[in-house]
Amino acid sequence: MRAIILIKWALVSLLSLMSCFAQASVPQRIVSLSLCTDQLLLMLAPRQHIVSLTRGAVDPDLSYMAAEANGFLLTGGNIEEVLPLNPDLIVGSAFASRDAVHFLRQLGYPVKLIGLPVSIAEIRDLLLAFGEWVGSLERAEQVVRKMDWQLANLNLQQDRVKKTALIYSSNGYTIGSGTLENVMLNAAGFHNLAVDMGVVGFEQITLERVVAAQPAFLFIENHIDNSDSLASQYVNHPVLDKMLLSKQREFIPSRLRACAGPMVVEAINYLSENHHDSKP
Amino acid sequence: MTVNHSYHGVLIGLLVAMIGSFFADLLAGPVSLQWFNIWAAIIENKASLDSLIFFEIRLPRAILALLVGATLGISGAALQGLLRNPLAESGIIGVSNCAALGAVLVFYFGFTQWAWFALPLAGLLGALVSVVLIFLLAGRSGSTVTLILAGIAINTIAGALMAMALNFAPNPYAMQEIVFWLLGSVANRSVSDVLIIVPFIVFGGLLILSCGRFLNALTLGEETASSLGFNVQVLRWRLVVGVVACVGAAVSVCGNIGFIGLVIPHLLRPLVRHDPQRLLSVSAMGGAVLLLLSDVAVQVLSSGGELKLGVITSLVGGPFFLYLILKNRNVWG
Repeated sequence: MRAIILIKWALVSLLSLMSCFAQASVPQRIVSLSLCTDQLLLMLAPRQHIVSLTRGAVDPDLSYMAAEANGFLLTGGNIEEVLPLNPDLIVGSAFASRDAVHFLRQLGYPVKLIGLPVSIAEIRDLLLAFGEWVGSLERAEQVVRKMDWQLANLNLQQDRVKKTALIYSSNGYTIGSGTLENVMLNAAGFHNLAVDMGVVGFEQITLERVVAAQPAFLFIENHIDNSDSLASQYVNHPVLDKMLLSKQREFIPSRLRACAGPMVVEAINYLSENHHDSKP
Repeated sequence: MTVNHSYHGVLIGLLVAMIGSFFADLLAGPVSLQWFNIWAAIIENKASLDSLIFFEIRLPRAILALLVGATLGISGAALQGLLRNPLAESGIIGVSNCAALGAVLVFYFGFTQWAWFALPLAGLLGALVSVVLIFLLAGRSGSTVTLILAGIAINTIAGALMAMALNFAPNPYAMQEIVFWLLGSVANRSVSDVLIIVPFIVFGGLLILSCGRFLNALTLGEETASSLGFNVQVLRWRLVVGVVACVGAAVSVCGNIGFIGLVIPHLLRPLVRHDPQRLLSVSAMGGAVLLLLSDVAVQVLSSGGELKLGVITSLVGGPFFLYLILKNRNVWG
């Protein structure tokens, strides 16, 4: 009897020791410094492991996961706000808060940064890598499988000739090759004229070139309702209303394209619905 | 008679240069236009891609460059005559920055919907404040140093207030756009921008031109001018209102385009034999030519329109300013 109890006790302590090791490798106090890592955390990490998100996370216009973000501590992503939270993993975007990241790394905090995926394959890689960081690889694999299935089953109308499109946004920026937006446009059955112009990434183009390109679809992007700025005067210029044969549409809502993730499916669907509308 | 002949020669020469540079500016742009399409649009009222670009984008841009250049030239000549100071210029003495401050307050805080003239009027009021301040600070002493110091102070304060206003503006792009207000541009303007400032510029320009003889008399001193029968107080205010009306309106849609008001009167003064009245009209045309040519340079040098017009005019004006200092170092010392 005693021997059995002893073995049982040894087994229990061994198990608890093992779970201790396992827990040590899975971050328990994760702090996010950017909108995109907020959303990835909400999609992949266990809720009890998330300590703080950024303020954008609860904005339904910006964040795809706004509903799930309620109830978390929100910060502005500053070092002073983050340090007292005693995080064991900090996730952020490689393109934001560089100074904070540099400082946090110097202090010895583990910081993981996400890049900017510009293709479906890179979104897949991002999801899997992020899942591994936060100890939810299985959950990440599930999300990827679901996204792939949805992409394969998109009910898109394929025309023989793709409709021409051009994106024009505040400050005169258009979006060309090497971007996720371009991938979305192509997937939704559009031909992006900015690519023909040789635009790589985001580039300013003049109003004259927008008019001269004669897109069948002009996607206007105005991130904000407030149009009291010179930046908005590009997209509010009267010449765009007078452009012949063109249809003006709002571009993909920010919540679907501000960050890369499985919401890319919904973004493509959104564009493709515009496409269907245009059928005579 | 020879004086008149040469003056008429200068006028005709500048007029030709102005028309030439106006058409050069219409030609300059990232898209090459088919001119018969524009002709067809005018004659047969047939809209095309080319006519759309021409009438909605290029024509407003060229007209704005012409009007704003003329405004800056004539107001520079008027201010230099009024303050009897070779460095008086709307950009240097703070008039342009104060006008920009007024425009910023109206533009970014949603007051442009109040009335079509809200924006130029705000520019006018801002400019008026600065001119009154200049009079209070530098007075009629005509001391160059006092004027420049007063100008630096007003410029700095107006610039800081503008930055603060842009910081608090509800629009997230506002802060970046301080570059536009400090350097100026005529890019991406529409016909409506031209229409809202035309009444102000025409009104201000006519007021300034009507003070030509007064400026001539003023070269002899205020006492002499008043003994010659000029009502100095009234005429001075008329000139000030004229300057702030056209500068305020110009800055409110194109930002602070520097140095034209300084360079042009200095360049043209010898051609009109230092006659302040004649200097007004030739400076207007000269200013228009310089701004139109600067805009052509902007179009040629930058495809995306990132280069601000004020960069070019300052590149022309800055060295000229240094030259003036070197030349007059002993006189001003």
